[in-house]
Amino acid sequence: MTPFDPVALAGSNNPDMTDHVSGIALRSKAFRWGWIAIVLPAALTSVLIGSILYLFYAGVGIWGIDWPVAWGFAIINYVWWIAIASGGTFISALFFLTRSEWRNSINRIAESMTLFGAACAGIYPILHLGRPWLFYWLFPYPNTMGLWPQFRSPLLWDFFAILTYVISSVVFWYLGLLPDLATLRDRAPTRGKQVLYGVMALGFRGTSTQWRHYHALYGVLAAVMAPLVCSVHSIVGLDFAGAATVGWHSTMYPPFFIFGAFLSGFATVLLLIMPMRRLLRLERYITGRHLDVLGRLLLTSSLFVGYGYIMDAFNTYYGGEKAEITMYQERLFGYYAGIYWATILFNVLLPQLLWFAAVRLNQLVVALIAIGVIIGMWCERYTIVVVSLHRPRLPSAYGLYHGSIWDWLTLMGTVGFFVFGILLIVRLIPVISMFEMREILAPRRP
Amino acid sequence: MKTVVASFASEAGLVEALPRLRSLGMVETYTPKALEDDQPSILPLAVLVGGLVGTAGGFGMQVYANVIGYPVDVGGRPEFSWPAFVPIAFEIGVLSAVLAGFIAFLVVNRLPRLYDPVDEASLMRGATRDRWCVAIRTESPDRAHTMLRDLAADAVEELAA
Repeated sequence: MTPFDPVALAGSNNPDMTDHVSGIALRSKAFRWGWIAIVLPAALTSVLIGSILYLFYAGVGIWGIDWPVAWGFAIINYVWWIAIASGGTFISALFFLTRSEWRNSINRIAESMTLFGAACAGIYPILHLGRPWLFYWLFPYPNTMGLWPQFRSPLLWDFFAILTYVISSVVFWYLGLLPDLATLRDRAPTRGKQVLYGVMALGFRGTSTQWRHYHALYGVLAAVMAPLVCSVHSIVGLDFAGAATVGWHSTMYPPFFIFGAFLSGFATVLLLIMPMRRLLRLERYITGRHLDVLGRLLLTSSLFVGYGYIMDAFNTYYGGEKAEITMYQERLFGYYAGIYWATILFNVLLPQLLWFAAVRLNQLVVALIAIGVIIGMWCERYTIVVVSLHRPRLPSAYGLYHGSIWDWLTLMGTVGFFVFGILLIVRLIPVISMFEMREILAPRRP
Repeated sequence: MKTVVASFASEAGLVEALPRLRSLGMVETYTPKALEDDQPSILPLAVLVGGLVGTAGGFGMQVYANVIGYPVDVGGRPEFSWPAFVPIAFEIGVLSAVLAGFIAFLVVNRLPRLYDPVDEASLMRGATRDRWCVAIRTESPDRAHTMLRDLAADAVEELAA
């Protein structure tokens, strides 16, 4: 494996690729490793359902939130998940626009990551409502009280941004799947699968007009999705920046949050494709080139995020406001300092190893760095949410925060649900976008 | 009227054959990836219109709600504080652009169409893998068969109906 590998190893061709990739989805017997892999995620998904039901029964008091830290795990996890989700759209839409060939074999898994990441993110704001059954009050609908939502609030912008993002991601993902579903329909070994994939393919047959409209639409939607994902994460940043809270009220937040989304998104994609290429024998289509490119992107976004941390500190001390400096000192040396320094270690220092090509191709080290980044990004959001809120302007309002067992169970539950979803995708739909691979593969066996 | 389905082993074979096949009657291609095609598509326009209508509608909805329907004085700031309405107008615009594009895609292609008589041809199974297929609806199937033999089609199949 070298960084100069082609995007598909020599000898790869369309018929072999189509047979191999569609064979994975159409297998009649599950993979043996699949049964082992699904146990823990399935158990954690049940834990998630259980903790949500208990939350609905008992209320948000079961969590660690209180005054002054009223935004706890729910908001931390929400931002963390939506950042992971955004990474998938960067790969599938942004790098489609740059015509990067390496994207073709990993965009399906990246987009699936977006779907389940956004699903995990989307449930938190609703759980965080004291009365979740009234979440529909966020919709602007005519009602007998003559009330309308306050559209000047970034929190309401966020509701619209997430709603748009989830729906658009599903549509973009499904559109990108249509030709491959048609392939599965035509290769289905049983009547049941033929009907299932046939219905999902909606009758896509690859006629000349279907292809023409398909490519026209896909290109335009990619050009719409790329700014959308930037707007979504900017608005998440504005949720914070719009408040006058210490440490949050900064114009830096929207781009800073986008940098974080790049970082955690690339880390998660790396973490997904490395086991996938081995377990599903896709080494031919996910090569050293892919690992190298993603490693470089991870390094680049780590430098971006590092720049954000430096500017955050600079602005605080240069600005000289007492409450800001008090909070920042607390961040660096106070009760939660360990979490801040873990952020620096995992997000900025460890990824520097990726300067070396040998490290970028060492899958074990890359996996450790990627896991570090994912933990580091969670720590970053913990610092932003908790440290700022626990040192408000009035010393009489100082207070500490800890997550309760239910906070941790819900977090672990969404992690399990995410992995569960990815495993389902791997089992049921082609993990590589076959029709896009045809653009770069030899049409026939050599 | 008979339908003759033929498959070619290569894209070049199909593209070369198409002009002659068109003289036989209605021709439709079924291919694993898009053929060269310079005809325009209406879908980018549908996305643009959907986006503009959504943005304008979303903006107007916010202006109505916060200026006319339920004005709230926030620290004496103007009621028509349009910059604060931009993010949601953008998001609603994107949402309607994406949905308009997808729905227009279904409409122009008349989808979903789960069954098409051409599906009866077993050759069609290869059209989504590596075969380049063509279906010809013609009054003279015999001429089609000879012509396809000339053109070195991989396999030919005539539909019963």
